[in-house]
Amino acid sequence: MDGAELAGQILYTWLTLVLGLILLPSAFGVSLGISEIYMKILVKTLEWATLRIETGVAKQSVLKNSASVGIIQRDESPMEKGLSGLRGRDFELSDVFYFSKKGLEAIVEDEVTQRFSSEELVSCNLLTRTNVNFQYVSPRLTMVWVLGVIVRYCVLLPLRLTLAVIGISLFVIGTTLVGQLPRNRLKNFLSEVVHLTCCRICVRALSGTIHYHNRQYRPQKGGICVANHTSPIDVLILTTDGCYTMVGQVHGGLMGIIQRSMVKACPHIWFERSEMKDRHLVIRRLKEHIALKEELPILIFPEGTCINNTSVMMFKKGSFEIGGTIHPVAIKYNPRFGDAFWNSSKYNIVSYLLRVMTSWAIVCDVWYMPPMTREEGEDAVQFANRVKSAIAVQGGLTELPWDGGLKRAKVKDTFKEEQQKNYSKMIVGNGSLKSELD
Amino acid sequence: MGAAHSASEEVRELEGKTGFSSDQIEQLHRRFKQLSGDQPTIRKENFNNVPDLELNPIRSKIVRAFFDNRNLRKGTSGLADEINFEDFLTIMSYFRPIDTTMDEEQVQLCRKEKLRFLFHMYDSDSDGRITLEEYRNVVEELLSGNPHIEKESARSIADGAMMEAASVCVGQMEPDQVYEGITFDDFLKIWQGIDIETKMHVRFLNMETIALCH
Repeated sequence: MDGAELAGQILYTWLTLVLGLILLPSAFGVSLGISEIYMKILVKTLEWATLRIETGVAKQSVLKNSASVGIIQRDESPMEKGLSGLRGRDFELSDVFYFSKKGLEAIVEDEVTQRFSSEELVSCNLLTRTNVNFQYVSPRLTMVWVLGVIVRYCVLLPLRLTLAVIGISLFVIGTTLVGQLPRNRLKNFLSEVVHLTCCRICVRALSGTIHYHNRQYRPQKGGICVANHTSPIDVLILTTDGCYTMVGQVHGGLMGIIQRSMVKACPHIWFERSEMKDRHLVIRRLKEHIALKEELPILIFPEGTCINNTSVMMFKKGSFEIGGTIHPVAIKYNPRFGDAFWNSSKYNIVSYLLRVMTSWAIVCDVWYMPPMTREEGEDAVQFANRVKSAIAVQGGLTELPWDGGLKRAKVKDTFKEEQQKNYSKMIVGNGSLKSELD
Repeated sequence: MGAAHSASEEVRELEGKTGFSSDQIEQLHRRFKQLSGDQPTIRKENFNNVPDLELNPIRSKIVRAFFDNRNLRKGTSGLADEINFEDFLTIMSYFRPIDTTMDEEQVQLCRKEKLRFLFHMYDSDSDGRITLEEYRNVVEELLSGNPHIEKESARSIADGAMMEAASVCVGQMEPDQVYEGITFDDFLKIWQGIDIETKMHVRFLNMETIALCH
């Protein structure tokens, strides 16, 4: 049939192009510069689109291009200042003012829950999903948008799916083959090659552009790599530049297959769900791993859950109790080209991946930071906070003391009592109690 | 808020009643939906989802204030079971800053409304007076988190404050005269001349809708 032949020809040309232009260069870690050209065109188009919007509508944009756009200007002054204004003596009716204002501010806008929804963009990026408010501006712009949709869904998506499929199958096959070898230098070398090649292919599958900064601080063997967590893609981004030992739960399905094949080629630490609950068991296994200095660095995400990449939440202290050198890494995605955050309560993994594959691109910066170790007299929590601050500063993210687990659970009582303790310290500590009253 | 035109009618009505701009109303509506889980009304339990609020020592009083019939202008006592978006905005409007363009009379009215909101927070049994018991209750809640403060200290703080209030309102008391409680007028007297403005407002930003393309 002519139709079938034609289809066959197209498929053939398509695969050859893919092989030649993408697969081979990525196998050798070489870039042909096609993605750079693509990005340039993309940036120009988006800037043009934003300009059209701003001139097309008379209003000015008042909101700052900040990480979280809020409706109220919070009174950030500390409790002492807030209460002292009307204070004449020890205790006044006025203190209730201060707390009711704070309470209302919390109800109108709450810092924590904001972090579990995607960042709202201020500028235009021609993706409906990241811009909530939109207005019809001009036919030309709508045409550009329609063109964008066609390009994304009909050209980019099939390409990316092909690449992803190829990447994953190569990975599984490659690691299984390498796994047959006895444990020696050759095996390690080959497993690295397989890992890196397949990760690069997968990153191309997402049209990922990654900038690595300070590569001299890349995590060394026998250390622990710690990074902020935004999505499962973080793993891909970090492994493209080096091999790590992963730590995590055993999954079923496709993830399970990938996990099992990974273990064949080099040792990763996968836990059964029941084991994860036993903290000591987990820590012991990690310690054993580090003790062998020749092993690859462990990759851990101490936040424990995906945050929307505008802030860094509480680091769980477990990873910092193991000892060893910590290599912090900050990952910051550029939201202009695609939203990488995985809102696991809203989307499952498949729809998430589909969304990512139909965005323009994933652009991110990775900063490697100098290694840190626990100092004398510092406990795990303080050390964790120190590392967290360093990552937040480097990545330009805000720092929050809250636990990522709040996505699903409630605030611990110890936190609630903190504020009350502070307040009561002020009342009792400052003035003198009127003890002559009776 | 829906794409129908009738929605903008509602918005204009709310604008008039509560004094918020339509963009602020839209933002607050989104927050309302987030708190209520996309239901049309909010119940007390929905406020448990606000982590920042957990830190506040008087959170139960604040949440209660949202359902207080006196604040909702629906009665003189009792609590509503659930509130809709209009009620939500009504409570929020107590915290709007006093507009500098308003005339003296309106400023006084606004001030009175704010102080009345606060009075209701203290006067939990709605009898129109803040008794010693009610005052003690508030102080104890404010200081409840600290294990080092015994109940006695909290009570003596409350007693001291009550004495002071009594001397301001009633003047010198006879030895066996009992001070029944702070009425709303006494409450206003205590606050006369003191500027509560910076304490009791939340600065709502002016939201301009960004014109964005698809």
